[in-house]
Amino acid sequence: PSLLFSSLAASDIARLFFHALSLFSSESSCINPTFTHFSRVSLQFRCSRMEKERFFGVNWQSMDAGMPPEMNSRAVAADQLPNSFLNLGWEQPMHHDAHFESALSSLVSSPSSNTPAGNDSVIIGELIGRLGSICNSGEVSPPSRYQSTNTSCYSTPLNSPPKLNLSGMDHQQQGRGGVPVPGNQMAAGKFSPFAADPGFAERAARFSCFGARGYAGLGGQFGLPEAGKLSRVSSSQSLKAVQMGASDNGKEVPVSEPERPAMETRSKFGGEAEFGNSQEASSVSDRTTAVGAENNARKRKAASKGKAKGAPLSSSNMNPPKPSDGENSDAKRCKPAETDGADKDAAVKPKTEENGDVGRKQGEEGNAKPPEPPKDYIHVRARRGQATDSHSLAERVRREKISERMKLLQDLVPGCNKVTGKALMLDEIINYVQSLQRQVEFLSMKLAALNPQLDFNMEALLPKDMHQALGQLPQQVYPLDMASTAFSYAQQPQGTPLQSIVTNSLDVQGSLNPLDNVGLFQLGNLWEDDLQYVVQMGLGQSQGTAFSSQSMPVE
Amino acid sequence: MESKSSTTGNRDNPNRNLHGSKTMMASHFLRALFRIQQTSTSSSSAGRSRRIRRAAYASMAYSAGTRRAWSRALLRKLRSRARLRFPRRLSRAATPQRRDMDQAQVLRKLVPGGPSMDDCKLLEETADYIRFLTTQVRLMQTVMDSVSS
Repeated sequence: PSLLFSSLAASDIARLFFHALSLFSSESSCINPTFTHFSRVSLQFRCSRMEKERFFGVNWQSMDAGMPPEMNSRAVAADQLPNSFLNLGWEQPMHHDAHFESALSSLVSSPSSNTPAGNDSVIIGELIGRLGSICNSGEVSPPSRYQSTNTSCYSTPLNSPPKLNLSGMDHQQQGRGGVPVPGNQMAAGKFSPFAADPGFAERAARFSCFGARGYAGLGGQFGLPEAGKLSRVSSSQSLKAVQMGASDNGKEVPVSEPERPAMETRSKFGGEAEFGNSQEASSVSDRTTAVGAENNARKRKAASKGKAKGAPLSSSNMNPPKPSDGENSDAKRCKPAETDGADKDAAVKPKTEENGDVGRKQGEEGNAKPPEPPKDYIHVRARRGQATDSHSLAERVRREKISERMKLLQDLVPGCNKVTGKALMLDEIINYVQSLQRQVEFLSMKLAALNPQLDFNMEALLPKDMHQALGQLPQQVYPLDMASTAFSYAQQPQGTPLQSIVTNSLDVQGSLNPLDNVGLFQLGNLWEDDLQYVVQMGLGQSQGTAFSSQSMPVE
Repeated sequence: MESKSSTTGNRDNPNRNLHGSKTMMASHFLRALFRIQQTSTSSSSAGRSRRIRRAAYASMAYSAGTRRAWSRALLRKLRSRARLRFPRRLSRAATPQRRDMDQAQVLRKLVPGGPSMDDCKLLEETADYIRFLTTQVRLMQTVMDSVSS
């Protein structure tokens, strides 16, 4: 059953379902709290992402309230289950997305109405299917596609929960290693009803697989534009689960596990998700931490990872991965997931590729928004909906690098805070550089006009003098440039005082290192003062008080 | 400002380095100014200003060292005694058309050593170049103020 959830992956939907499923399964596994959190978390992500999605209406919120009690009770009727399940996750994220709520509500309502049987699983399956469709509706890839595809694999997983992950994974194999492991564990018992939703199985599988990866997988499938965002979240989740294993991950793991398959598509975000999910992830992580279902999440993660591992590593690997894999497997999964993703992209059904392409386009938009976290060169997670082939991965890394540098430049160029967008920023940068060069020329003209008035204190200006001055008493008399003394010094004791002053004021520790990017910038404020000192010293002019205070009285 | 106290307080490396570079730049520039003053008392103001401008860029390049591609390219240009030309007027002429299309090209013309860089590196070098440019401009302004005050 967990697989089913994961396949839904449309990050949001998947999560919802996942939660629901978890709820179901939680009965046995007592994972309820985790799921709840997870669902919440996922919902939140979804919500933030799904802003564009107007699917989820208020239902989410209502659902959320209803869920927690439902979960525990287990006695929830099939109809109720989806509702409660939805409510679970949606409490928190709800506030953000009206879309979600609407979508969710529609989703929830639809399954309930359509549910032929009173089985919880069926309902959930329907819900998941709906969610998938909802997600897809907003996206390019129509859910029908998934459903059709899922159908094929769906039946398989449905039959046997333990195999759900595998079969689901196969589907999703779009290269996401996120084997729907967790899904299996949780929904093992409950997924049978999901069989009703062909797409669900696949999605669930995806989710479970990608549990750690995030919901990228699903996103890719659904081609949700927000997939990018979601994937980020999911990927972050997955990454967290894999790498951080922090409480956040714990939370996310259980959730992400079922969504692993979805995450794979989003695997790209994994890296990003972790760091870059500043918006989403942070919120999610906050929640997850708050929840404290870390332990539970870990267990599930381990279990799911074991399963997921099996799935990504071998699409045809029907053996449920051992839960003992735990975090390591997740980590491994992340790696192979990416590589597998690349491999699987081709191997996976064309549908996934399409989705991937579609997702990529959409994902890119989404990617552009969140800040990209520093990427590990090895682990480059494909964002949700993005292709995971090496070319696009490299491209993504390159784009991220460029955006990083643009941010640096934004700090350097004054008045660029409001400007967003590469083109405008570049214009600003060009203008600024031009203006600086013009200023240099202008100032040089003025200095040329003033030249006769300059008095130079060459002794003070000699760099070695400055070096020597460091750590030395300023009383040193430098015989250098004795001729320079012929110059009219505004003040006699310029040589040594200058050096001492320079030393003291500039704190030059004898290290004339090239300007450090940061240093130069940081000392911007002090620069004027230092410059003043140096210039005044060098020019032998009106040093007055400044000198006397620091310079040694050398006469 | 807390010039003395702050400077002494800046013991961390970046500040130190910064100090070092700034000091180097300032001293180099001032020496160059001195030399120019000495040698061009009779030359025209335009010639002097050109020399001063060249000295300014030289100070920048020397204080930046060879770590940076732009400073290396600048040093190369200076050593070859080629006249330092800058496409300022060129940039003024073109306006909206350059947008989006050859923005990188325009930037490459501005930053020394630009043409041989890829976009990523170009942005990095531009950032460093801007830093040094601002420092140089401030230095020159300070000199101006000191002289005129």
